Amino acid sequence: MKQLADKFALITGASQGLGRELALAYAREDVRGLALVARGKKQLKKLQSEITNIAPTATVEIIQADLGSITDIERLAAITLEACRGRLDILVNNASTLGPVPMPYLLDYPVDDFQQVLNVNLVAPLLLIQNLLAAMIDHGGSIINVTSDAGRVGYPGWGAYGISKFGLEGLSQTWAAELAETPVRVNWVDPGNMNTAMHRDAEPDEDPTAWVDPAAATDIFVFLASEASRHVHGKRLEAQSNWREMITKG
Amino acid sequence: MLLPHDPPPTKSVRKIAPFHLPSALSADRPPERRGLARDGVRLLVLDRYTGNVTHTRFDRIAEYFEPGDLLVFNSSRTLPATLVGRCKDSPWKIETRLAESLPDGTWLGLLLPEAGTETGNLPREASILDFGGGLHCQLLEQDQRIPRLWKLQFTKRGTEFLDLLYRLGQPIRYRYLSAPWRLGYYQNVYALQAGAAEMPSAGRAFSWRLLLQLRNRGVETAFIALHAGLSSYLDDEIDRQHLASEEEYWISGEAATKIRRAKNSGRRIVAIGTTVVRALESAAAESGGEVRACHRYTQLHITAQYRLQFVNGLLTGLHEPEASHLDLLAAFVRPPIIYAAYSEAIRLRYLWHEFGDLNLIL
Repeated sequence: MKQLADKFALITGASQGLGRELALAYAREDVRGLALVARGKKQLKKLQSEITNIAPTATVEIIQADLGSITDIERLAAITLEACRGRLDILVNNASTLGPVPMPYLLDYPVDDFQQVLNVNLVAPLLLIQNLLAAMIDHGGSIINVTSDAGRVGYPGWGAYGISKFGLEGLSQTWAAELAETPVRVNWVDPGNMNTAMHRDAEPDEDPTAWVDPAAATDIFVFLASEASRHVHGKRLEAQSNWREMITKG
Repeated sequence: MLLPHDPPPTKSVRKIAPFHLPSALSADRPPERRGLARDGVRLLVLDRYTGNVTHTRFDRIAEYFEPGDLLVFNSSRTLPATLVGRCKDSPWKIETRLAESLPDGTWLGLLLPEAGTETGNLPREASILDFGGGLHCQLLEQDQRIPRLWKLQFTKRGTEFLDLLYRLGQPIRYRYLSAPWRLGYYQNVYALQAGAAEMPSAGRAFSWRLLLQLRNRGVETAFIALHAGLSSYLDDEIDRQHLASEEEYWISGEAATKIRRAKNSGRRIVAIGTTVVRALESAAAESGGEVRACHRYTQLHITAQYRLQFVNGLLTGLHEPEASHLDLLAAFVRPPIIYAAYSEAIRLRYLWHEFGDLNLIL
């Protein structure tokens, strides 16, 4: 039996980059169903047909939504709950926005953009967990938040993005503490440098070929979604380090 | 749906309860917007047998439960059930309040044409209502007893329908509200699948903190779903008749097992909301006194004469003098006891309606 048989997952930011690779990786593990969220419907449709080829029996619900909008989040929660029939196993808060690029210094950051970045990267994961927890709390579930090295170190020029990830790490820790006595697990993962459109936008002067393909960073996300990780809770993990050892050591 | 062969309601048996509810006691905003926590509303605890009343705060409700008690919640999620549409070529708006979905995939909806709409533009059979954004429905049939209630056939179904409804709809709101509160305020923290026209509001005050606390104390919880319909057809005469509506409900195998076990071991079963009483008692009536996993429609109307088979206690809001919920409460408590408690609640300025205070009957 594959690792995710009978499980239903919601992945945000699924149309490209890491989110897209996660959807494909979960499909290869025989996921029961996927709710895939992004702003671009066309790319989601393409992904949907690729997934159907890999996992013909999986239910794939594609949801076009802007995570900066509270009403969109309510809509996507209702559609997901309908598609998974009230039982969700995996929630991957992967979507994030850089905000304006090139990223301005905080000194110059327009406040409207700052708020928009916080809404998408920090408030949306909060609202998604709030809206979907009921579908996980009885049977157990795995929440995985995608963070960044910029969520631990205040690099100059990483502006609202880095700060939103600092927030996301705090959010993850607090959720993990509040849910400690429930069967719902919360972990957060820094995928490391990946060759994605977003990363190329963030660091246009760097050589992207030095970064890994996002398809090579999915193992840890499969592990955290699966039963193999049922004792792993409240951890910050790095996809490109020896995370298995980090987990064993505690 | 109200069926044409049902007997006509007799108005003489429909009494209005003997208390006056001052309009100042309508909760016009969610507790979080009047300086309280979600679970900080007031709680009137009423002893079913002695009539003894205790006043407390909702976040202390755990004190009234014992390990082994089973609380049964309605997990139905509130829809943005109000849509605004127009008939083809008509300049007049028609507000549409979705009431319930029927087994054949159609919906019942209350159609409220804008004041002054010309007769030729009023809803009629076979007209198409256009809500914009790609959502349409056809008017199939007018209800026999509620003239503004129609059977509607939408062009979309399933998650495609939900997607458009959430893009276009607003929650059903009543006049006593101080602002058009957004949909999130109309959800219970534990809500799952969407389908309720109006929030099953008895459980609104439960916070996750409180639910986790109850769990840690050994109080058991189970979740069923009954998609609540409209609480008002916006017609006093019709509302007073308490016409039995038909509502869809589900009980999962897991919930049914918990309920049976509690019943068989003599533990207390407390319904969180009148919808739960209706679902459990309907399920029991349909399967010879046993609650089993099911997905059905119910028309059960519970009154003072009804002998409750499963439910021992009830958490509910405070109801208006003309509300049919008071009939159901009479199955738990003799009406004079309810009215005495209500007059105390009015004197102490408890708040009514979906964002208001609560009443635990044990």
